Amino acid sequence: MKIRFMARAILAGLLVTGAAQAQTVTVMGSTALGPIVKKAAEDYMKSHPGVQIAVSGGGSMTGLNQVTSGGCQIGISDVFATPDQEKAGIKNHNIVVQPFTLVAHPGVGVKNLSAQQAEQIFTGKIVNWQEVGGQNRKIVRVIRPESSGTRAVQKKTILHDQEFAKDVLIQDSTGAVVAAVATTPGAISFVELEHLEKNKNRIAGIAYNGVACSNEAVKSGKYPVFSFGHAYTNPAKLGDPKVKQAVEDFLAYILSPSFQRNVIKAGYLPVDYVKSLKTKL
Amino acid sequence: MPQAPEVSIAAASEGGYPVLEDGLSPAGAGAPAFKHSRLQRLADRWAHLGFLVCSLLVVGLIGGILYFLATRGLAAFLPMAGNTGRTLSFSEVFLSTDWAPSSDRFGILPFIAGSLGVTGLALLIAAPAGVLTGVFIAKMAPAWMRNLMRQVMDLLVGIPSVVYGIFGLTVVLPLVSRTWLADAPASGFAVSALILAVMIVPTIVSLSTDAFESLPAALDEGAQALGSSRWQAIWRVLIPAARPRLLTAMVLGLGRAIGEAMAVQMVIGNNPQWVALMRESTDRAPFLRALFTPAATLTTELVQELPNTAAGSTWNNVLFAMGLLLYLLTMVLILATRRLGRGKEA
Repeated sequence: MKIRFMARAILAGLLVTGAAQAQTVTVMGSTALGPIVKKAAEDYMKSHPGVQIAVSGGGSMTGLNQVTSGGCQIGISDVFATPDQEKAGIKNHNIVVQPFTLVAHPGVGVKNLSAQQAEQIFTGKIVNWQEVGGQNRKIVRVIRPESSGTRAVQKKTILHDQEFAKDVLIQDSTGAVVAAVATTPGAISFVELEHLEKNKNRIAGIAYNGVACSNEAVKSGKYPVFSFGHAYTNPAKLGDPKVKQAVEDFLAYILSPSFQRNVIKAGYLPVDYVKSLKTKL
Repeated sequence: MPQAPEVSIAAASEGGYPVLEDGLSPAGAGAPAFKHSRLQRLADRWAHLGFLVCSLLVVGLIGGILYFLATRGLAAFLPMAGNTGRTLSFSEVFLSTDWAPSSDRFGILPFIAGSLGVTGLALLIAAPAGVLTGVFIAKMAPAWMRNLMRQVMDLLVGIPSVVYGIFGLTVVLPLVSRTWLADAPASGFAVSALILAVMIVPTIVSLSTDAFESLPAALDEGAQALGSSRWQAIWRVLIPAARPRLLTAMVLGLGRAIGEAMAVQMVIGNNPQWVALMRESTDRAPFLRALFTPAATLTTELVQELPNTAAGSTWNNVLFAMGLLLYLLTMVLILATRRLGRGKEA
């Protein structure tokens, strides 16, 4: 992981030196948001030859740390900045909406969970699928590590800020979560909608409060489990007005209707789908 | 810095044998003394410098890593510059099993216990298997098989750990849970230790084969001449004679196991709450249950959390302290290896 990150950093460095003439904007952070931001960067550079945008990974916290310290111009993150980082004056832009869904092993015999049932499953009050109308089988909770953005979203939306049960199986990435759910009878987890759609033959989606997760359900306001993808900037550290201009212009491009139409293909939703909801996530 | 080599026949060494100081093959007493050209001497000097720089670089790098780990890791316990986190006491980190960093609780005992547990278990499986295979290769196998086995062992050492991990995740875990656990997840110490054992067996086999091959043939022959059976010769003579080197082999295997992150991370289940869970358990066979309870180790927790925590936060500092602890543990193992190695010569 480190090595990959370093390789990317070196690559980014080469790009920076290679384009000494152009305005260079470095973007770092979330590996989940990376592909969509990279797509935006490619499109943007085509129409703005004088600007070079280098996107590298490292994880949400790396992005937030780097943008706070001035190590990059834009930090992309799945989660909100910490209070300390916000105090340092970094500024949030919501760039996409990320819908999440409950998923389970196909054999559990349950297609829907009420908000209360979902909460009690993950806090450990419900331990068998029979208690929610399914097979007589132990519930195996598969979740992400404590520092994961997905876990933060899950804790806030599904558990209403209560602690997870102690009896859990933890997997490092969404891919590993999907593999674990697919091979472990009785497993339940929480993933980005896009990963359910890609693995429909291996894992089953579970509706939340009677509503199955879909782009339309989020748009209509019936489905409440989603988060924003964030792009943070640090106005105090953007000294060069030309760079500042390029950063603002690039963010405006990401939020423009022409690009926001594209994000659906990548598994996200346009920000204005949920603008009216004012959910703080 | 030593002087540049004077190339002439040096004063005869103690054995009365003339030795060339530049390390060329010893010339006969009557061979003419010859001088290296200026260019060669210059090249020698530069090469010397090059080697020196390389070795200093390696030492400096290791020292630098220790310094980096120590400053970041100790920041958890001492107020330091650039540290935004809380200062913790040693006991609330090293003596507590309560790990909930988001709620400001940082007990790392579950990870220490997890690392020691899974490594110990792996060694328990790998040590007998490795040593006995070593005996077999060195003392029993026909030549063609010996060569084959050696090559297979070298191959096994070279397989990346993530491959072992994928094998464990997609083959061993589902198999174990279907066969023995009535479909409960099999993640935990048992499968992790098994995978780790497979990973360290080649190391132990290679080193113990060397150990047995280096024993004087007289030991084996003497034992057999005295009428001992094959088994008695191995058990009573060969293994005791090779013991220091066998212990070295095990410590090196242990070192490899305790530092492994990727393969373990994929199969152990990564649950930091496993100690608390075991304590609450009313199971009648808690040890057996612990083998199949998702647990976590120092390395797996580092792999999972380090990239996602803010630099300088308490959480991040504690993770670095865990890294420092791993470093020190490995250091202790290396020192132990050297001690055991010295015991052999005595």
